This record gives sequence, structure tokens and C-alpha cells, in this order.
Amino acid sequence: MGGWIIKLWQYALRRVLLFIPTLLGLTIIVFVLIHIGGTNKLLAMYLSPRLTGAARQQIIAELNQKFHFNDPIYIQYFYWLAQIFQGNWGITNTPIFSGPVTQAIEIFFPNTLILTIFAAILIWLISIPLGVHTAVNRDKPSDNVIRVGSLTFYAMPWYLIGIILIIIFAVWLKILPIAGTVNPSMVSDLSWYHNGISYPTHILLIDALIHGNFMVAGNAFLHLIMPSVTLALGVMAALVRLMRGTMLETLDQDFVNFARAKGVPEKVVINLHAKNNALLPVITNFGYLVAGLLGGVVVIEDVFSYPGIGMWLTDAMINNDMGGIMGGTLLFGIILVVTSLALDLIYAKIDPRIRY
Amino acid sequence: MESNQLKSSIAPIVKVEDFHLHYYTRRGVYKALNGVNLEIRKGEVLGIAGESGCGKSTLGRAIMGLIPRNAAVVDGRILINGKDYLKPLKEYYKNNKKFKPSKNADVLKKVNNEMSKIRGQEISMVFQEPMTTLNPLLQVGYQIAEVLLYHNPGLLASRRLSRSRAKKEDTKAIVKILKENGPNEKFEQYLKEKDIVGLEDQILAIWRRKDLHDLKKEQMIEKLCCEPISSFVKNYLERIEKENKLPNFSKIPIIGRIVKKELIKEGYKKASEFLGLLGIPNSDKIVYMYPHELSGGQRQRIVIATAMINSPQLVILDEPTSALDVTIQAQILELIKELKESINSSYMFISHDLSVLAEVSDRIAIMYAGQVVEVGNKDSIFDQPKHPYTQMLMEAIPTIEAHELKAIKGEVPDMRNPPKGCMFRDRCPYAMPICAEKRPSLIKIGEDHYVSCFLYEGDRL
Amino acid sequence: MSKNSNVKPDRFRELKLSLQVFFSNKSAVAGLIIFLFYLFDALILQFFPQILPFKHPYQLTPNYANPIPEPPSLKHPFGTTYPGIDLLNAIIKSIRLDFWLSLEIVIPGAIIGLVIGIIATYFGGWIDEVLMRITDIVFSIPYLVLAIAIGYVLGRTLQSMMIALILVWWPLYARYARSVTLETKELTFIEAARAAGTSNLKIMFKHILPNSLPPVFVQISLDLGTIMLTISALAFIGFLPAANLPELGYLTSLGYGYIQTAPWAMIIPGLFIVLFALAVNLMGDGFRDVIDPRRRSEL
Repeated sequence: MGGWIIKLWQYALRRVLLFIPTLLGLTIIVFVLIHIGGTNKLLAMYLSPRLTGAARQQIIAELNQKFHFNDPIYIQYFYWLAQIFQGNWGITNTPIFSGPVTQAIEIFFPNTLILTIFAAILIWLISIPLGVHTAVNRDKPSDNVIRVGSLTFYAMPWYLIGIILIIIFAVWLKILPIAGTVNPSMVSDLSWYHNGISYPTHILLIDALIHGNFMVAGNAFLHLIMPSVTLALGVMAALVRLMRGTMLETLDQDFVNFARAKGVPEKVVINLHAKNNALLPVITNFGYLVAGLLGGVVVIEDVFSYPGIGMWLTDAMINNDMGGIMGGTLLFGIILVVTSLALDLIYAKIDPRIRY
Repeated sequence: MESNQLKSSIAPIVKVEDFHLHYYTRRGVYKALNGVNLEIRKGEVLGIAGESGCGKSTLGRAIMGLIPRNAAVVDGRILINGKDYLKPLKEYYKNNKKFKPSKNADVLKKVNNEMSKIRGQEISMVFQEPMTTLNPLLQVGYQIAEVLLYHNPGLLASRRLSRSRAKKEDTKAIVKILKENGPNEKFEQYLKEKDIVGLEDQILAIWRRKDLHDLKKEQMIEKLCCEPISSFVKNYLERIEKENKLPNFSKIPIIGRIVKKELIKEGYKKASEFLGLLGIPNSDKIVYMYPHELSGGQRQRIVIATAMINSPQLVILDEPTSALDVTIQAQILELIKELKESINSSYMFISHDLSVLAEVSDRIAIMYAGQVVEVGNKDSIFDQPKHPYTQMLMEAIPTIEAHELKAIKGEVPDMRNPPKGCMFRDRCPYAMPICAEKRPSLIKIGEDHYVSCFLYEGDRL
Repeated sequence: MSKNSNVKPDRFRELKLSLQVFFSNKSAVAGLIIFLFYLFDALILQFFPQILPFKHPYQLTPNYANPIPEPPSLKHPFGTTYPGIDLLNAIIKSIRLDFWLSLEIVIPGAIIGLVIGIIATYFGGWIDEVLMRITDIVFSIPYLVLAIAIGYVLGRTLQSMMIALILVWWPLYARYARSVTLETKELTFIEAARAAGTSNLKIMFKHILPNSLPPVFVQISLDLGTIMLTISALAFIGFLPAANLPELGYLTSLGYGYIQTAPWAMIIPGLFIVLFALAVNLMGDGFRDVIDPRRRSEL
């Protein structure tokens, strides 16, 4: 019976190996984009604008040594890639943060991470059962209400959903905060939090729990609610419709009828036989939804002034900060590729046919 | 088996009375079944023959209650052991001016609920395409075990409990008894005394195997003992053994999962034994495989096993060999014939291939355009086909002796707008004026031979 | 549906059925009507701007004298937004821009994607591999982020945004075309055509392309909505340098600063975005009903 675990590891290994070329392709795109922008923009990525005169010349010489700016482009790529692996991603220069890109990532990424995890939990817990329900109760009032609702949310720009939530909960009801991950006064003199980074995990909510500081944890949680709900609503709309569609198709398949012909209770027919098969095309298409989700992160962090990598990217864009834009693009790409890989593996775990 | 030739005075398992079923689509209302009259008797194999579109599949599914939401039960009834399960659907149709699939679906839900009790237990079905019939994500053993779990959990519980109750000396004694006299009353008596009746199946399955050395068999039987079991699980299993009913698992989440897992594991074992009985080699490994890892013939055998493991009274087989190639087809037919000998169920064998039906059937019914046009025992149908359609079908069968292959001219009528009189009128070489006006009904024209055709009005018995 | 129906054979039966299917879906019809309104606005403003009393039909006209947003009134039926822009005026202009923008992104993207997809998949081999790698790479970055990066690098203008989005969008259609071509390529009638000596070009465009059109058509109508949402999102976060560009997303960003005091400044432009996306989705659903053979026959 353990045979399938071995096959799964083999499959996982194969997928991991394949994902390396995709990552490389990703870096090529970023590299190409950097170079389209011209040498000045390129230099701007690694050169602080505050440097002048001799110091500036010296830094340029150092950069030339590292990047070989005078060599043909395809050779430059490898030097650039080497720098990336060594952690030199350039410099970002935006109002919210100035400094090495890697440091910016260290500050902003954990916030986005917890935001997306929350949203993902909400999405998973709600969309799948809802999608199944609407398919099983086709054309009933509940199905129609849910379909109308999800269509409306699907047609709304994400920032609009966020703004409406802000109006309701922050402005009218005044029960939820906006802006930031936490109320600044609460964290001003904490030993484990400075310069916008909390220790040890960098994720404020978790660190607060680790340190037993429930006030801060609670506040951090409150700050998370609206952005993650907004993010979730945008994706849920698409996912419920997707799940409904695949479920309706699956319900017509022979094996569902056969399960009924065996006398399996309807609840089991739906939740074990139909649902798991219907999930497969959902997972296949989920990659595209994740791409939309990450795009939504950019917009939502802007609306809620939530200091994550989305907000950093937006700031970089407005301030013509090459380092920030390219660093952010590369990072978003890596996140998407890794997530797609994870989805592939989940799919393989559920569907035994794939592992061969 | 000889009682099949005489009209049985025992009540038939299934009686279809003037059954009408219509499909509602945007392209029109398809009148799929137009007054089907049929009965399926105990212990017989009834072959159902006809072209595609004549409604034979629809009929099979209707008997199982597997009716799509856009299908209306317009009239008539189907009695399974005397009970009409589809009545609510007919009532919905008759009491409402407009037919709505969603409302029909509501009624269908209740009907399905009622029928789930007998599906897999009293009646079961084998579908045409084995690859799509099995759930690709579950091991085949699981899919067989499910049928046992939901209809016969007591059996599974009993097997497991018996192995924990039995002691080493018990199994040794049993081996001794078997070696002396084989599986006789002394054997059964012993099992009853020691309250380990659940071991009977397992012991006999090993004992009857033909691929093992005697010594090995004895060793295996002796091993059927002394399996410890946690007391929580034991309590539940004992209750299941007594009531033959599953507890409400949602009320006991954690223990419930463990109990269910134990039962399913036991189900795998019984499935493996049953597959062995069906002559499938390596059945203990096969139960752990997935459908896509098996060949078409193996899959169809699994489907048949699933349908038969609870010894149902009726098995409906919908073109079970049409998706397989000829050599496999022959094997599956052999299997069905063997099963017919050992498990005395009734079989409804649907096929468009008359030669296949000639192999397995006792009686044959010919369907055309949603009606039964002729029914009788196999020899009567093949040797003296009465209905013009049947005659033409017989002539169209290619045989060894060279004869002219006569195709049947014309096409099946458009079922959205079936003709007023006899359905076959346009293609019938003997059509009479009355055939355009009225529809014939089944009349008896021989010993257990009925035909629906105005040609034989005068020969009525 | 009455319990009896008669069917007459008819040359245009399928076409009539398609129309019947579409028009029996009330929400799809509603979507179509709304879509036509937007189309009408876009057409009139593009080709006959003289009809409307706009001095600057393609630009916003701020009124710095009265920058603070005013609520809806007789003078300003939708109110005004910062800085002093009449919303009704602005929205009519924005609809035109957004509509044509969406069309100018989705249609070229679809055409490029289809052509490349069909050609690459039909010939197979290394061309197909290269195509797959390229689409993989483009899909490896979230489309909004990639659009930002490309648009930035090309200078943050309206044109660069269009190019960026077309570049981001065509792989989707290439993938679609690929799956349809793979299916159709192996069908016997293609072999028959080849045996009869039909040129590859003809096979591709006379046999394979028509098969792929119906689902692509549905996807195009849905994408019009998605693109509109993406454009407005980009405008909202400030992709286009502040200009008097009549764009619905940009209008919402103008109203953002006044959420508490003047919510209409944001809600109303937002509403028109939602309306378009909704309409286009309902229409697309209706089209799906028409082309999917099962949904077509179901009641």
C-alpha cells in the first residue's frame, strides 16, 4: 500500500526539476525588462541617488566589476543572475522604505504572507462547500441568491469591495481599523519589534502570540480582517462559480450514478464521490486564480495602506523606483511559481492517475 | 432452472405495467418509453434486445430509479417485489400543469432516498463502460467494500469480531473438522458454539481456493484468530453486529472514523475473497489498485462483483460487454453464466447484440420505440419470431451459412412526435390500415410467447 | 413548456435555436442591453462628438474654482468629484475611453494568441515547445504585476499600458487555441483533407479555426469585463501619471480622498465599472448557453 507514496515522491521530484527552468525563464524576463529600460534605469537600481562625485564613480566602477556592463548582453545576464543568488537585488528608494531590496522584502513580505494565508483559509472554507451546495440545490432560491451574489462580487473591482467595507466598518460602525498592520502606539516600545520588523518570525500576529502579548495580537488581528476579507471575497466569487460548474458536470457522470446504484447514501455520493472528482479541474484552474489573487494583493494593500509587498510595488511604481519594481516583480513571480508547484503536488496527491 | 420454461406462478420480482417516461428538453419532449409491459421472474435471465434509442437503457435505469431530473414519469408503474417506488414522480407529473425539472428533482430526491435502501441489496446494476463506472480516485477494493458497508455492516463487524474472539485452539479444531468431513453441520455447529460465526466466510474462502497447497491453507486458517481489538471499537462493532446498521457517524467523529476504517478494511478482505471466487487471480493485490491500473475486462469484473457481492435478487446489466473487445466479451459472458449457476438471482441483460443474448438468456424481450413488441422464451423468439421487426432482426444477423444480409429499411421514428398508431408501421412490410389508427398491445400467441401486432389478432390464445 | 410539441425541419433551425436559447435567458438579455448602451456611448462620442455639448470630448474638464465634490443636484445630476469635475460629463467620456481600450486590448490579444497558438500547435515539434515555454513564463508572473513592470519600463503612458496588457493577454488565447487544435488535429476529417491535398494553411484556417471560435468568443466577451477591471485597477493605483484622462478607475481614485464626506464621488464611477463587468459576464453566460451542446438542449 505504500507504493503510492514512493510514486508521489518521484512525481514531486520531477515537478521540482521542471520548475527550475520556469524560474530561470522568469529571471530572463525580468532581466530583459531591466534592459529595455536603458542603462540609466539599470544603474539606478544599484546606485543610491544620494551618492555624488568621487564616491559615485567608485561605486560605478565596483558595479561594473560585478555586472560587466560592457560585455554583450547574454554574458551580462549570468553576472546579474549570480548577483541575484548572492542576495544583491538592488536598492529601492521609496517614501515608505529606502535601502536594499532584500531588506525591503524582509519587512514587507511577512505581512503579505499572513494576509494571503488568512484569505486563503477563508476562501477554502467557504467557497468549496458553497459551490457544492449550489450545484446540488440547482435552481432553488438559495442557489439563485448565491449566484447573483457571487456574480456581483466577481464584477466588482477589488478596491471597490475594500472601500465599501471601509465605509461600513471603519467609517460608519467604527469597529475596525484601517491602515497598517497594527496600532503604532501599541508597539512603540516592544523589545521584539523595531523598524517595522517583529522577531522571531517577522509575522506580527504570530510573534505577538509567541511573546504572550494578546493585546497586540488582537489588534493585529483586527487590522487583518478587512483586507483579508476583501481579498477573499474577490477570489471566492470566481471559485464558487468554478466549483458549481465542475460539480454540475461531475454529477452527470456514470460513476456518480453507479455509486447511487450501489445504495450509497446521497450525502456520501455528493461529498466523497462527486466533490473530490469535481475538485480536480478546480485545482487545475486555481493557478490562474492565484495570479489574480496576487494582483489583487497589490491593489488591496494600496487601498488599506497595508505595508506589504503590494504596497511597496505601488509606491515604487509611482516614484519611478526601478529597484523596487523589478525586485517586486521577481518576488511575485517566485511566489506564483512556488504556489503553482504546490498546487501540482496537491493535485497529484488526490488524483492517482497523474503519478505515472 | 427448468422452471423457467413454464410460466411461473410465483410473483415476479419486477413487474412493469404500461410504463410511460418522457424527457423534457429545449428541442422538444422525447417520449422515450411508451407503455412498456414486462415482467422479470425469479431466477431467470431476461434478455432485452433492440436498436439504440429504443429505450432499453432507459428502462433499465428506470427500474433502478436512476431517473434524470428532466425525465417525467407520465403513466404506469414499476413494481419491485410489489412496491411502486416511482409513484411520487407520477403524481407530480399528473398534478401539475407545467413540468419543471427543478421541482421534479425535489421529488426525485425523496425517491432516491427510499430506493437507496434496496439498491445494491435487492437490486443492482452493471453499466456499459467500466472505465467511467468506477470512481477513478478510489481503490477498487474500496468501491466494493462500500456496498458491504452500507448494506451489510453486521457481516463485516462479525468477521472482525470473530477473529478477535477466536482462540488458537479454536482454529486448530476447525482445521481438524474440515480435514475429516469438510464443511458440514459439525463445522457450522462448532462456529455457533464458540460465537465465531463470522469466521465462516473467511474459512470457506480459503478452503475452496484452488491455487494453494493444502498445508498452506491450513496455516492460513489457523492464523484467523487472536486479533486484539481496542475496547471502544469493540463496543461499537458489537452493536453493529447485532443491529446490522451503521451508527450515526457524525455524532461520534473520532471513534466513528476508526470504526469505519476497520469496517472498510474488512470490506477489502471480503472483496478480495469474492473476486477470488470469481476467478480473478491475485485478488488480494488487485483490491488495492486504482481503476486506471486495470484492464477493461478486469474493471468490468470488478463492477460485476460490486453488483453481486450482496447476492441481490435482480441484477440489471446494461450492455456489459459492448465496450470490450471480443475475447474479453466471451470471458465476461462465461463469468455471467457461472454466476447464474451459483448465485440464484434474476438477471435483466440488455444488449443490441442478439448473438450475445442467445448465449445467456432464458427469455428474450424485443423493444422498439419505447415499447415491448415481442417477448417469449429464447427458442420461440429465435425459431419462430412473430413480430415483423423481430423477423427482420433475425434476418439481419450475419451467420456462417451465406445468406443475403437484409438491412431494415427506414429509420426509428422521431420520438418527439411518434406516430399515432403502431410505431413500426412505416417500416413494416405487412402494414394494414388499422396499424395507422390504433396501437397494438401484447397478446398471447404461444406457450409463454407474446406479441404486439395486429397480424396475430386472430391467433390469440 | 407544454406537454406536446411539434418539430418542423428547417434550414435555419439551429440558428433559430441559438437565438431562442439566448433570448430565453433573461439576465443575458439584460446584459446585452446594458452592453449596447455602453457601445452606443462609445460610438457616438468617437464618431459624432459634435452631437454632445462637450468642448473637450476626450479630456476631463476640471473646475478649480469649485474643487470640492458636490452632491447630485439639478445642475450636476451625478454630483461632482475632485477637482470640480462634473461626474455625468466625466462618466460619459470615460465610458468611451474604457470601452475602446478594452476592445483594443482584447481583440488584438485574442487574434495574436489564436494565430500563434494554432500555428505552433499544428506544426508541433520544437515550435510547439517554444510556444509552451513562452506561455509558461508569461503565466509565471501575476498579470497585474507584469503589466505594471512592462508598462513602467516602456514609460507609464496609455500606449505602454495597452501594449503591456496585450503582451500579458495573448498567451491565454494561445493556450485555448492549443487545446482546441490538439483535439481537432487528430480527427479523421483532417487526415482526409490532407489526403485530398489541402494545404496546411487552408486546413488550419478553414477547419481548425472555426472550431475554436465559439469558446473563444465566449472568452472574449468575459475578458472585456476582466480587462476593464484591470485597467481601472491600474489607473486607480496611479499607473498613469496624473492627467485629465477620462477613465473610470482614475475617477474613483479622485474620489478616494473624500470617502467620508462625498461617497458618491467614488461609488458612482465604481458603479459604472461594475455595471459593465456584470453586463458582459451575463452576456458571456448567455453565449455559453448557446454554444455548449448540453446547456443548449437543457430546459
